[in-house]
Amino acid sequence: MPKSFVLRANERGHDVIYSDGSASSYVAGHPGSYIARDSSFNFHQYQSGRPGFGTVRVFGDEVFNGAGCGYNMHPHHNFIICAFVLEGELTHINTAGRGTVDQLRQGDYYVFSAGSGGKHCELSISPENMNAIYLWLMPGQLYLPPSYHRAHFDIRTRRNRIAQLVGDADGALPVSQDLRVSRLVTDRAGRFTYTPRTPEHGVYVFVAEGGATVNDVALARRDSLGISGVEALAIEAPDSSDIFFVETAMLDDARIRAWEKAHGADLLD
Amino acid sequence: MNAPLKRWLCLGCGFSYDESLGLPEHGLAPGTRWADVPDDWVCPDCGTPKSQFEMVEMGYAEGGADLARIA
Ligand SMILES: [Zn+2]
Repeated sequence: MPKSFVLRANERGHDVIYSDGSASSYVAGHPGSYIARDSSFNFHQYQSGRPGFGTVRVFGDEVFNGAGCGYNMHPHHNFIICAFVLEGELTHINTAGRGTVDQLRQGDYYVFSAGSGGKHCELSISPENMNAIYLWLMPGQLYLPPSYHRAHFDIRTRRNRIAQLVGDADGALPVSQDLRVSRLVTDRAGRFTYTPRTPEHGVYVFVAEGGATVNDVALARRDSLGISGVEALAIEAPDSSDIFFVETAMLDDARIRAWEKAHGADLLD
Repeated sequence: MNAPLKRWLCLGCGFSYDESLGLPEHGLAPGTRWADVPDDWVCPDCGTPKSQFEMVEMGYAEGGADLARIA
């Protein structure tokens, strides 16, 4: 049975976290730096929205403002954390394995599975601001061996088709979860079809740039749509669009179910 | 009384609390039920409040339970 929700750009949780004051141990780059975070789902201070979607717990659209801005070294367990750099540069220092210092630019992305424990630090050290999409996923198991993988999505050669970045396709980064992340960048208008593995899988569609019509729902820049129970998604994209698709198993999650019930959000199409 | 022991995940950082293991390093004995963890308890790794943990039905990866025991 189809179920869906639409989340407009301005309906997301909006937090601005400064590098001084109470968050100074968390946010780097004093003086003058701050992180602007738009959260599609509940995260930290923002707790009045949807708790998640399938295995997704965090979908953050973050901008590191000011030279040196970012997150100081901090620990994680279990979550699978992905970042997709849209603009600027992200310097990522990660303790997984023997440790990595990685620099990610536009089109680069990583999958960090924190598993039994890892720490990381993320900084924007170039003069321009850094904008990335952050995705946190529930893992398939607790305390997996920590891992770090990264890749590049070549916007010039992979235009006008839906390309899988994370999942089980050739060349996609692997993930220990029933999940796929795909991306569609267009430079001409077109129609596309996204087919999830099964109709029981949910797909969270996020328009990073441009716009899209997905199963007759019009989405503008930074709007998003969550949908499950459909065989396929029919997408109409104008030229100059950048659209992310996060396909996930739909867990029977008590927190999400309770939120949907309380908000009358369990809408049928 | 014999309800299965459960596992909880911090939504701020992914730290897990396992009722069967407790957190002896942080003063919670093995077998301490989530309901018996004080309401003002926060994640030892990130300070997230107890209310922002989610119950998870997930097994450990190989060797994971031994690592969790000393977390
Ligand atoms: Zn935590």
